[in-house]
Amino acid sequence: MSARKIGFLILILGFGAAVETSWSIRESRVFFGPEGCRVLGGRFYGPSFTFEETMEAPLPEGEIPRVEVRNEFGDVVVATGEGPGLRVRLRKVVYQPTEEKAREFASGIELRLDSDGERLRVGTNRDEVGRGRHVGFETHLEVTAPPAVTVDVRNEHGAVEVRGVAGAKVRTSFGDTRIEDVTGAVSLETRHGAVHAEKLGAALTIDARHGDVTLGGVAGSADLKVEHGSVTARGTAGLSARVSFGGFTAEGVGGDLTVRSSHGAVSAADVTGRADAETSFAGIELRRVGKDARTKSQHGAVVASAIGGAFTAQTSHGRVELERVEGPVEVRVENGAVEARSLRKGALLRASGGDVSIDGFEGPIDVAVERGDVRLLTSAPIVESLSASATGGGIRLEVPAGSRFELEAESRHGELHMGLPGSETIAADAGGRSRATATVGGGGAQARVIADGDVAIEPHSPALAEAP
Amino acid sequence: MSRPVFSSEGLTLGAGLVALGVLWTLANLGRIDLLSAVRTWWPLLLVLWGVLELVDLALRRSSRRS
Repeated sequence: MSARKIGFLILILGFGAAVETSWSIRESRVFFGPEGCRVLGGRFYGPSFTFEETMEAPLPEGEIPRVEVRNEFGDVVVATGEGPGLRVRLRKVVYQPTEEKAREFASGIELRLDSDGERLRVGTNRDEVGRGRHVGFETHLEVTAPPAVTVDVRNEHGAVEVRGVAGAKVRTSFGDTRIEDVTGAVSLETRHGAVHAEKLGAALTIDARHGDVTLGGVAGSADLKVEHGSVTARGTAGLSARVSFGGFTAEGVGGDLTVRSSHGAVSAADVTGRADAETSFAGIELRRVGKDARTKSQHGAVVASAIGGAFTAQTSHGRVELERVEGPVEVRVENGAVEARSLRKGALLRASGGDVSIDGFEGPIDVAVERGDVRLLTSAPIVESLSASATGGGIRLEVPAGSRFELEAESRHGELHMGLPGSETIAADAGGRSRATATVGGGGAQARVIADGDVAIEPHSPALAEAP
Repeated sequence: MSRPVFSSEGLTLGAGLVALGVLWTLANLGRIDLLSAVRTWWPLLLVLWGVLELVDLALRRSSRRS
């Protein structure tokens, strides 16, 4: 059989298949949703009717009464109320073309409260009702419990809200989750929904995908794992987060902060403890960190200010900006510049493909740059070791009054300008190399300044130092 | 190999298009339900094509003998 005939056969059969499929759809032999409604995005759409049922039950004996809530399609709300027992209101939403049909179907949906002595289970018989019946219906549960209970909620398609209880464990698939005023530990596992947690008195654990996470007022430590969503946290205790494909923002962390992020920016401010942040393809910004800070970024900039302890940064393809670091600084940058101000305990800087500028420093300085210039300005006397080298660039050092060091300066291919009194310059040798030595303030620590390009060493000029 | 006397695919396609056009027109006139009619009668395209293939084969054999 020739290719032409095979092609023609496929054409005819394809035509027939299209006709048969169209006919099946028209004759309702292919269902896109339960009778009388459509299912889009995990929700029912169409005419619906609502019916309610309420039940009450005593709580099981025990120090901390436990309540389990199970649901599939519908919201779950757990809130505190007066009274020693549990009160559950079931709202049944049935998607049927007429109220009569809906009422008949809803009469079969029942609330189930079972206790095994240790915990009270709240649910419905929707598995039995829905089996074999092609009808869409939602079961919304509103549970009112005393504040002493801990709740364990599992829901599939619907929002979950928990308020005022002693502890909560929540697992949802499609729907937003809101947790407020919980005094004990909270554990959340969510998929495809936003999470909002506020005023929590103890530890918080979140495992979320495909939704943003917002935290506020968490007194215990928080451990977050968030994928495909951003994190915003305000007023938390120690915070540990793993975030991918989403940004991270934290303000007011009363403890240590650890962030492991990828493909998302990290921003944190007012951290009383240590801050440790890693990300890729985005930048990191840390402001007002009480203790040590560490950052690691790939293809992103790093900005840090008001760091109370040591600071370590490693990045590539991004610049580093530092301001007011109280502890020693170590920065390694590939293809990026470094701009630093007010470093109180010295710095070790390694950079390539960008300039390095330090405006105001104390302590030992060790700077090595490839394909970039170095600019070192300070108003504090230089009394500790200083080493600056620039391969493929020049160096400018301003020396304030009161400095004490032994200087050795060299320019391999450029000009060497020594503006210090008492310095001795050796003229360029045959290879174009210029060298100079000087004893500043009677000598002291070693200072070595070596560059391929121009080297300029001048007395400190406040006007120049203040220039942008 | 002798050349076919006629193109069975061409004839089938032509007949199918004519039939589809007639049915569509009748549907527009409100005489028939197009989808139901097409769904009922579309396998005849396979029958027509098969018959034309057999006729073509027979004509080629007779032309080789003569």
